[in-house]
This record gives sequence, structure tokens and C-alpha cells, in this order.
Amino acid sequence: MRQRSVVLLAACALSNLLVGVVLAKQSKTQNPPPSQSATAASAEGEKRFRTNCGRCHNPPEDISPREARAVVRQMRVRAMLTAEDERLILAYLAP
Amino acid sequence: MLRKVLSTSLLLLAGSSLVSAQENVPIVSGGAGFLGATNGGASFFQPVVAPVLSIPLGNQWLIESRADLRGLISREDGSSGPYQGQFFGTLEYLQLDYNATSHLTITAGRFLTPFGIFTERLSPIWISKFQDAPIITPIGTGGSYNDGFMVRGALLSNSHYAVNYAAYFSTLSTVSNLESERGAGGRAGVFLPSTRLEIGVSYRRTLQGNHFNSVGMDLSWSPYRTPLEIKGEWAHSPSGYGYWLQAAYRLSQLAGSDSFLSRLEPVVRMQQFVRSEHVPGDSLPSSNAQLPEFGLNYYLPHEVRLNASYGREFFSRSTDVNIWEYGITYRFLFPMWPGGSR
Repeated sequence: MRQRSVVLLAACALSNLLVGVVLAKQSKTQNPPPSQSATAASAEGEKRFRTNCGRCHNPPEDISPREARAVVRQMRVRAMLTAEDERLILAYLAP
Repeated sequence: MLRKVLSTSLLLLAGSSLVSAQENVPIVSGGAGFLGATNGGASFFQPVVAPVLSIPLGNQWLIESRADLRGLISREDGSSGPYQGQFFGTLEYLQLDYNATSHLTITAGRFLTPFGIFTERLSPIWISKFQDAPIITPIGTGGSYNDGFMVRGALLSNSHYAVNYAAYFSTLSTVSNLESERGAGGRAGVFLPSTRLEIGVSYRRTLQGNHFNSVGMDLSWSPYRTPLEIKGEWAHSPSGYGYWLQAAYRLSQLAGSDSFLSRLEPVVRMQQFVRSEHVPGDSLPSSNAQLPEFGLNYYLPHEVRLNASYGREFFSRSTDVNIWEYGITYRFLFPMWPGGSR
């Protein structure tokens, strides 16, 4: 009886470990660490800036995160960008 | 206890709004410049400041405004006599934008006419490759400024294509500096991100005095592999029809990214207007006109640009003229109050 309980507990622990490993792997692939995700957003934002805004003008040479929000909000209206474009371009201009 | 909870909540609310206010700091941007021109022997000088005020409010609202403050210094009799100066101040737009959804922005107030691409996108002095607006700009723009309502946005947008739109109604206004014509219209464009090619069509129905239609098409192409920009417009109204086509090539690809030559940008623009009938006050050439122009821009560090151009305007019913233009422009951007992390 005691031996059966030990085996059951060991099986539970092993299955939990396996599930944990699988979940950890999944979360790693689905939700990359914040810094990695921010870098990816910034790279995509640069691409979208070049694609949309860069057709008419260069990016500002010197822009602070405080100024970037107003600049990108204005560009969203003027260049008819989507909310996602706004978010990504903001990540590029104000990482 | 209740008081404690309330005061803590108020503190948290104040703190969050302070953080939000810091993130949404209003900015002043725009361009300043000193422009000079000799048109058919008559010389003009124009000091210009065109500030743009942008005030983001929360996550969805924006107040934006642009003024054009300009002096005109010219000789009393055109090409002779003492110089005299005049001042012109224009409120070009003052609008409240509400980003209702990812694909819809609602605008109210005074705004630039979404007809073609020049007025809305290329008219700032630090963007425009030539000092003068294309000669067909008055077609379909109703004086360039409208007082009314507008909806705009990206109807569809993905990595292969984007469809954008703008539709508006403007009312009659005779208020000084806020003049507007009664009219309605809009623009729709298809943009292909992979090639950076956009083609748009525009329409305006003027609903004041003699009602009439204006239609237009525009093209913008900026290939990724080469620093070349090609832009153009065609427009038609009862006054006549015409086009402009412009190509600009930055020498950075030939001369390396940091060399003296890489900052040079030769530009060429061809324009033509064909007069159909005389319409008083349409701000278009009184007869058929052709205008080839050649320009050279030089981009200095710190957002300063030098430009020079030569053009010859051929009129069918008057003397042809040479147009020499030169100037310096500066693009600025700063927050309305200091502080925070720069």
C-alpha cells in the first residue's frame, strides 16, 4: 500500500515536471523576454517608419521619448497609420 | 477608513495622471527658413516660420495646429525702387483628432484639404523639394484649408497592401484668417509596402457659387534599394487640367553615407497646365503654362537644408520667364516645457 503511494507520488511528480517543462518551453516561444520583445518591436517599428513616414521625410535627428508620443500621434493622423503602426513606430523612436 | 481609501485613491489618480501628462507632453515642431527668389527679374525675400503645435490628450485625442508666419520683402516696383516689407500670417490648420478605432480617425476644426498628396504631406517648407507649390495645387483644394469635419484612416492594412481613405465636408466661413469654402470630397489610396508605391484618387465637389467637380490622381514611389523618390499629381477642374512630376535622387548610394556628396540631392520637376475656361479667382495661370525646374538640395547636419533651383516658365500668351530660387530651411522640434528624460 505504502509502495503504491510512493509510486503514485513519483508518477505525479514526474508528470508535473514534464508538464512544467513543456509549459516553460511554450511560454518561452510565445512570450519572449521583455528586452527581446522590445528589440523586435523597435526593429519592426523602424521598418514601418521607413515604409510609411520615410517616404516623405527623414526621422528627426534628435528626439526624446517625451516628444515621441506627440510626434507619432500626429503621424498616425497625417499618414493614416493604424494603432499597431503607432505602437511599433513609438517603440522605434522611444525605445 | 473610508477617508483613507478615498485619499489614497485620489493620490493614485493624481500620480497616474501626472505620469500620463509627462508621457503626453505637447510639442512644438515645424520649420523655419529664409527664402529668396528672382522671378522674371523681380527679386523677393521671404523669412518664414511655420510652427506646428501638437497636444496629445490621453490615448486617443490630439489637438494639432500649424501657422505660417511669413514676411515678403520686395522692391516697390517689382525690379526697381526701394525694398519694402509686408507680413502675412495664416492659420493653416487647427484641428481636434479622435482616434475612434485603429482604422478610423474623426477630425473637427480647420484642416488641410485631402486632395492629392502635396497639400497634406509635402507642403511643409522643410519637406518640400522646391520652394513653390505646384501650379495645379489650387485645383480641388478649395483654398487649401477647410473648416468642417473629416473622417480618415487605413481601411485595410497588412504587409502586402494598405487602403487608406479620407472624406470631409467643409462649410462656408468668411471669418478673417479662417476663410473656408463650402464643399465635400475625399481621397482614397492604395499603398504597396513591398515596393513603397502608392496610387491615389481624389474628388471634390464645390458647393458654393457655381457648383462643380474637381478630380485628381496622385502617385508616389520610393524604392527601397535606391534613394530615389518619384512623386506626381494630375488634376482636372472646369478651369483646366494639369500635372506635375518630380524625381529626387540622394547621392548617398554613389558617394557613401557620410561623404560631402552623399548629402547632395538633385531634383527635377516638370509641370504643365492647360487652361480650359476663364474662372475668376481660381489662382491658376491665366493661359497654358509649362514649367521645367532643376534643383539641388544639400542636407547639412542638425536638420538644416540648403536649396537652390532654376526653372523656366513658358506661357502661351505672355513672355516666358526665368525663375531662380535659393534658401535655407531648418526643422525644429522641442517639448513645450522642460523636464523628464531627454
